[in-house]
Amino acid sequence: MELFSQHILSWIIFTPIVGAALCLILPTRWSRTLAMAASLITLLLCISLYATYGPAAADTPEARQEVFGVQYGDMKHVERASWITGEKFAIEYYLGVDGLSFPLVVLTGVITFLSCWASFTVKKAIKGYYILFLLLETGMLGVFLSLDFFLFYVFWEVMLLPMYFLIGVWGGPRKEYAAIKFFIYTLAGSVLMLVAIVACYFFSASALGGRGTFDIVQLSTNQSILQKFSDPHTLLLGFRFAPFMFLLFAIGFAIKVPTFPFHTWLPDAHVEAPTPISMILAGILLKMGAYGFFRIAYPIFPTVAREFAWFIAAIGVISIIYGALCAMAQTDFKKLVAYSSISHMGYVILGLAILNKTGFQGAMFQVLAHGISSPMCFFLVGVIYERAHHREINRFGGLWLTMPRYSSLATVGFFASLGLPALCGFIGEVYVLLGTFRAKDTFDWAVPMAVIAALGAILTAGYILWMIQRVYLGPAKDEYKGFPDANRNEIGILVPLAALCLLMGILPTHTVFNFMNGTLDLLQEKIVASAGIVGHLASSIGM
Amino acid sequence: MWCASIGYWLPSGNDLMRVGPDLALIAAIVLILLTTMVTGRRALATAVIVMLGLTAGFLLNWNAGVWVSHHGPDTILEPVPASMIIVDGFTVYFRFLLLIFLAGVTSFWLLGANRQEKDSPEFFTLLLGSAVGMSLMVSTLNLLMIVVAMELASLPSYALAAFDRNSRKGAEAAVKYVIFGSITAATMVYGVSLLYGLFGTLNLAEIAQQMPFVLAEHGRTPLFYLAILAFAVGVGFKISAVPFHFWCPDVFEGARVEVTMWLSVASKAAGLCLLLRVMQTLAAGPTGAVGEYVGPIAGAIGLFAALTCFVGNLSAYRQTSVKRLLAYSSIAHAGYMLMLGAILLRPELSEGAWTAIIAYLLIYMFMNLGAFGVTALVEHYSGSDHIEQFNGLGRRAPWLAVAMAVCLFSLVGLPPLGGFLAKWWLLWALADGGGWLWALVIWACLNTAFSLFYYARIIKHMFLTEDTREKMRVPMSGVAIVQLCAVVLILTGTILAAPIRTAATRYAQGLLQSRTAETLTLTDHAPDETHESMLHH
Repeated sequence: MELFSQHILSWIIFTPIVGAALCLILPTRWSRTLAMAASLITLLLCISLYATYGPAAADTPEARQEVFGVQYGDMKHVERASWITGEKFAIEYYLGVDGLSFPLVVLTGVITFLSCWASFTVKKAIKGYYILFLLLETGMLGVFLSLDFFLFYVFWEVMLLPMYFLIGVWGGPRKEYAAIKFFIYTLAGSVLMLVAIVACYFFSASALGGRGTFDIVQLSTNQSILQKFSDPHTLLLGFRFAPFMFLLFAIGFAIKVPTFPFHTWLPDAHVEAPTPISMILAGILLKMGAYGFFRIAYPIFPTVAREFAWFIAAIGVISIIYGALCAMAQTDFKKLVAYSSISHMGYVILGLAILNKTGFQGAMFQVLAHGISSPMCFFLVGVIYERAHHREINRFGGLWLTMPRYSSLATVGFFASLGLPALCGFIGEVYVLLGTFRAKDTFDWAVPMAVIAALGAILTAGYILWMIQRVYLGPAKDEYKGFPDANRNEIGILVPLAALCLLMGILPTHTVFNFMNGTLDLLQEKIVASAGIVGHLASSIGM
Repeated sequence: MWCASIGYWLPSGNDLMRVGPDLALIAAIVLILLTTMVTGRRALATAVIVMLGLTAGFLLNWNAGVWVSHHGPDTILEPVPASMIIVDGFTVYFRFLLLIFLAGVTSFWLLGANRQEKDSPEFFTLLLGSAVGMSLMVSTLNLLMIVVAMELASLPSYALAAFDRNSRKGAEAAVKYVIFGSITAATMVYGVSLLYGLFGTLNLAEIAQQMPFVLAEHGRTPLFYLAILAFAVGVGFKISAVPFHFWCPDVFEGARVEVTMWLSVASKAAGLCLLLRVMQTLAAGPTGAVGEYVGPIAGAIGLFAALTCFVGNLSAYRQTSVKRLLAYSSIAHAGYMLMLGAILLRPELSEGAWTAIIAYLLIYMFMNLGAFGVTALVEHYSGSDHIEQFNGLGRRAPWLAVAMAVCLFSLVGLPPLGGFLAKWWLLWALADGGGWLWALVIWACLNTAFSLFYYARIIKHMFLTEDTREKMRVPMSGVAIVQLCAVVLILTGTILAAPIRTAATRYAQGLLQSRTAETLTLTDHAPDETHESMLHH
């Protein structure tokens, strides 16, 4: 029991690997059962972290302090052991969880389990499929839980290989192109990140005198490191250190998010990936980019975050508008959902850029809300694709009459994505927009950005309603008359997702905010303090 | 050992034990030739002798390793300043890698259709001969010995390139190879003679010591650089560094897989180790001189390393022959390793550099052994190494394909595989230097991302492309070897990462300590001897 309670995070990360190993050894007919069992156990382990975070539901200052600590970097369930140590370096096996990673870990557990369930459509080489699927889960959980840069990078890349094969082998007609495009984009981003990781180490060494550190928490909280990094006289190849490194990290994360200039892999990957993998891509992989900004880029380089806030916000707003316009132009159902992801993730970037509590909370909420609603949308598309074998929006029509159960769940999913009040998409967008308006005293550009971003919400409503009208409404078409309604499996997957959409929309504080705000506020205060921002931002309180 | 009766230096039995592995290989060559006279050309008999020779070499090398770790480096053909052969930790280490790699090449040759061939005795005579040359390349600091060792390694290689007598391509390749090789060798000898003219000695350690005094005289520095440049041409040819890589395409195309594997991996590693050793020796000279005279050389090496890895990756990009693709990728890897040459002259960095090179060589060997091994098996059992032959390998020979995938991803440098750790230590050592070396770090990283293009193409053909051909029958032993390589790569990337780093660091420290000790002996003894001889007169 000791072994279990002391190492709960390791159990979470490595349970899927054990499942994968069993899949490899045992006959193929057991693969699916094993994978389901492994992902279910992982989910239960993730939920067991609630024991730690449950008291935060009380939402009193004492409870908050108890759960989230007194400053940013107070981690729970820390596991620390030296891995590769030498005279000049110490790479650690260092895991920990806080209010930033806890919701994402639970999200990963939920979405992975549901998409494992949704993998019943996969018929080809299922042994390999489930092995890779479980390896992917290990990689994702590892990214959210590791606090050592080296370990983080290893998990970040571990995720790449299974994803490449899952898209490339089990994907649609242009799978080869999509898989390699995904792979190259992500690898290009991550090698830049590798340079930045090495650089952070050596420059932290000169700040600390002697050994540097890979400890992400220490890098983002140690004053002498922060000072050294943000010092304009710290140069690397003649460039100022902090902006240069921030750029390297930001490109790596922006590719994952993806934001505007780096987004082109996403529609291809989403469209070609099999449905369960699209769910994971949209639900979790994109969140890693956002998590990277929250955990690494912003806390370690707060001054850059402040200096280039306008630029980051502009990227976010462009993503919102551009993604929405692209989504509107699509005739392929899955591509529409893919572009809508770009648009929705734009709010996350905007919320980050404005550096106030409302913005941070909104951005993180949007991350989680999108993590629920977009896998649901992809699954909804998958369900209809299974039956119709095409995804042309214009060829559908009147599905509501033939498939009432499916269609009513579909409306929940798409309205959540649209941002209808009482559903999860609404809260995140509103927080981000309010936060941006509030930032008007710090940033002159905040109000125009907020206005443009708000226009994005209208565009979103436009393409989603138009799509619903073309696909679900209208008279029933003959070619779709014989379609069976959603079966038990499909209902089983859709109902929890729909329930989460509703719960998060109606009770955002009790389902989400209480469990992350503590850390987010500490994080925001830390960033603001070390970026040297005084006045409105520092004093502005969250909603 | 000074043999007074004949008035000449003779190696003692103890000294001979240190070069035992080389002698074992030479003995194997002689035995092969003799056996052929008795039994006729028997592939199996030859193979048995080769394996025996390798085993003997391995054991003797072990012995030498133990001796070196107790007594420090052994210099053979004393007196020390003019030593012809140096057996130190690095020599022993390189020989181990060389012997393991030779065993791999031999096994793939035997597993292939070549078993039936009557040419085996010749093949192995040449192969072992060039192996002896490579082993000697890495165990000397004497310029003359370097030239001889390089020729010993090169001459059999020319014949190996043309080993397929019926292949026109092979013959063409060999002719080009010979011409290119002789020109570069001649240039190198010219460089060596210039160095001798300048310094009056062939011993690099001594050259390093005398650098400040000799070069202080006006007008000698350009000559010194000319000599070094000419010398570098020869080494550059061996490691196929840009711009001396033009022989590669033809040779890699014309030669057999085993030969390509040998020439592109082992020969490159030997050249590289020679270069690093030379750099290290020059860097051990008086501190001021190193910065002044060796600094520019290091910069040039960095530049050529950057070019080499880029050109290697660029050329690999369009290949459809997997053999050639891997050969070009090995040029790119030589480029990465060559980068370390740029930092060897800074004493505070040399430990990191040697640690990186020791770890890199080990992992590099396993990656290439696995990848070339799979290619050899595919070529033997489907007739060609064209990339189309790899179609659907994931279904036709899953174990082979998985091993290949692991090796390729390791070559890219993806965690959690050994290749990533190797690259990581390399970047680490470079980054430790700071300054302009950061440009090399970034360059190496970008090249890594670029290299994914062509490695992933093989992966795509193996797993993503459909193919209806039936399963491929591959001998279990072949699969076992490549699987072993894959397992080694996975382990070195995960649980063995820390032990390997520790071992490599300890090794590097031992190496550098002994090097310093050696330099000390040199400086201490040289005046004494002069003094003594003066007294004598």
